[in-house]
Amino acid sequence: MGADDNIIRIEHISKIFRTASGSVTAVDDVSFNVRRGEIFGLLGPNGAGKSTLIRILTTLMKPNSGRAFLDIYEVTKDDEKVRGIIGVCPQNSTLDVELTAYDNLEFYGKLVNVDDSVLDERIWELLRMADLSDRAHSRVSTLSGGMRRKLEIVRAFLHRPLILFLDEPTIGLDPEARREVWQQISMLNTEHITIILTTHYMDEAEKLCQRIAFVDHGRLVSLDTPGNLKLAMPAGELIELGYDHFDDSLLAVIRAHHQVISVEKKEGIIQISAKNGSNLLPVLIAEFEKFGIIITSISIRSPSLEDVFLYLTGKKLDDMTSDIPVSRPGGPR
Amino acid sequence: MLRGAIAIFRRDFKKFTSNPFMLVMTLAMPIMYLLIFGNAIGGSITGIPIGIVQEKPFVHETPLYLAGLDQLEHFHTQPDKPALFHVQSFTDEQIAKNALADGEVMAYLVFPSDLEPGRTIRLYMDSSEFTVPALIQSGVTGSVAATGAKNPIEAVNVYGTIDYIQFFGVGVIVMAIFMTTMFGGGLALIRDREMGIIEGYFVTPVKRSSIILGTIGSGTVKAFFAGFIIFLVDIFIAGVIIRAPEDFILVLLVLFMTSIGVTSLVVSLASRFSSQQEYSSVIAFFSLLLFMTSGAFYPVLGMPSWLRWITVINPEFYAVQALRSIILRGQGINVIWLDLLALAIFSVGAIILGIITYRRTLE
Repeated sequence: MGADDNIIRIEHISKIFRTASGSVTAVDDVSFNVRRGEIFGLLGPNGAGKSTLIRILTTLMKPNSGRAFLDIYEVTKDDEKVRGIIGVCPQNSTLDVELTAYDNLEFYGKLVNVDDSVLDERIWELLRMADLSDRAHSRVSTLSGGMRRKLEIVRAFLHRPLILFLDEPTIGLDPEARREVWQQISMLNTEHITIILTTHYMDEAEKLCQRIAFVDHGRLVSLDTPGNLKLAMPAGELIELGYDHFDDSLLAVIRAHHQVISVEKKEGIIQISAKNGSNLLPVLIAEFEKFGIIITSISIRSPSLEDVFLYLTGKKLDDMTSDIPVSRPGGPR
Repeated sequence: MLRGAIAIFRRDFKKFTSNPFMLVMTLAMPIMYLLIFGNAIGGSITGIPIGIVQEKPFVHETPLYLAGLDQLEHFHTQPDKPALFHVQSFTDEQIAKNALADGEVMAYLVFPSDLEPGRTIRLYMDSSEFTVPALIQSGVTGSVAATGAKNPIEAVNVYGTIDYIQFFGVGVIVMAIFMTTMFGGGLALIRDREMGIIEGYFVTPVKRSSIILGTIGSGTVKAFFAGFIIFLVDIFIAGVIIRAPEDFILVLLVLFMTSIGVTSLVVSLASRFSSQQEYSSVIAFFSLLLFMTSGAFYPVLGMPSWLRWITVINPEFYAVQALRSIILRGQGINVIWLDLLALAIFSVGAIILGIITYRRTLE
């Protein structure tokens, strides 16, 4: 079993919440595996069931049906064993803000059974990793949001867990702090630890995750590498060419090209979605020249994960950051 | 300007009226203050247990003794109130003395024998209660005067002169334990839950029983220290005297039993309330009620009977009574065993309740 490549195996997990007004299916028959040592992204809008799934995997909640294995342990039967091999950094901070950074780590170290003889050394190692050595004896309440997050992430890593759960690790952080947290996550991953990351920031998932699962309405929509997910988009790449004067007969010529999927003329701009757009671009420029149309601007971009998600679910992820332009997809809805 | 003011007014009011629980508590507090404060303090003290005895050699009861007994039994401070004393006759001075030492009576009066009718009437009083000795003395003087006898009265305070600060200081030890735990400990626990610190425990291998033990343990030690510090203040500033090492140990025992009981009770209460606001309003109510009826301020004898019923189930009363017996009167287990038993029942009950309700929040 230990040689198994899949460190997490989720088999038909469902979770139904009963409320006064009926029942809500938060997780609906979800099955997937997570490979040993990867950074695995769980993406979806708020309320998609990401946190519920994480709570089930971290033994905080029992599923209504289905099974999940973490390494060799089943989450509902061996919950104490499971808690020994996981590290969790929840969405809402659970640091004690009245204690110092060092004391928080020391306290947690005792809860997770880190041997006293190595604890001090380990704490300093983690503080260095989080770049907080000089703030070790500051109260957490005096640390910035980014520092607290980094402290919380290394805290979850204190006992060298096999699997690290990070629930929305960069929510509410400024861009600078987010980048630092990302660096830290990448660094942890080099220690052969499996990381499960939930987020609704697409850039974050794209940057960090080896594989991504899209969830929406409690269901698994898609699961693949970021690159493959983008390939699944029939829309291809989006080319935008600006002009002053335009000759409509050119439209037919462009449409006739086999790589082109769709063409749209707008005020001062032509939008073309095409497969392998970077190859197509020189051809298009030549066509424009042939018709004597002066190109005033050129842009080409790949579909973002946001576009893919939109394509797959027909809806946007909420709370997008300014880092990612909220764009209309070139492809079908 | 007015628009903003009205908006703020409406917001505050909406929040106030949308929480019926807080609404009731806000109104209940002052009413309770009125009822409890009004009745617990300054009420007329009646039915003080006293003993009377006649000096040896005993031939038969003297006219003075019989007239004194009659006058004492019917002595009223106010015409419409019950009699001031509850009089018990003793056959022997030593028995009366023991009764006082065991706290059965709060004073005893020794009348002269019929061989020497002119001798002094001796009054031995428990001086550890507030205002009671003064009442006894004036009641006894009045009763003897009413018999027409001219015998002088010699009053003896058996526990020496005890100042109000000493009487009150002992009560404050218990108050410190209750207040520290109810406000400090309980609120901290709710805050931890709100901040998700307790949920943070659940994703670690730490056992549920460890969480309970750690929480109750730390609360108990904090409460114990709060009580102990006031105890030291009583010794070094208020000037109470600890007569023997056993007394010191007994005080620590009472402090510990009270601390663990109150801490468990608070853990249980804090588990039931989701918000700090609701918890603190309930706890303000309880702590005042318990403190007022504990007898720490004013003798329980002065309370109306409905308040005394609260006293009977008030653990703070037993703690105060036990500490007064040990510290002010130097009494031992033979006197305070009932208080210790009551405290033990309270503590064990509170621990069980605390573990059950706290555990439920941990599931």
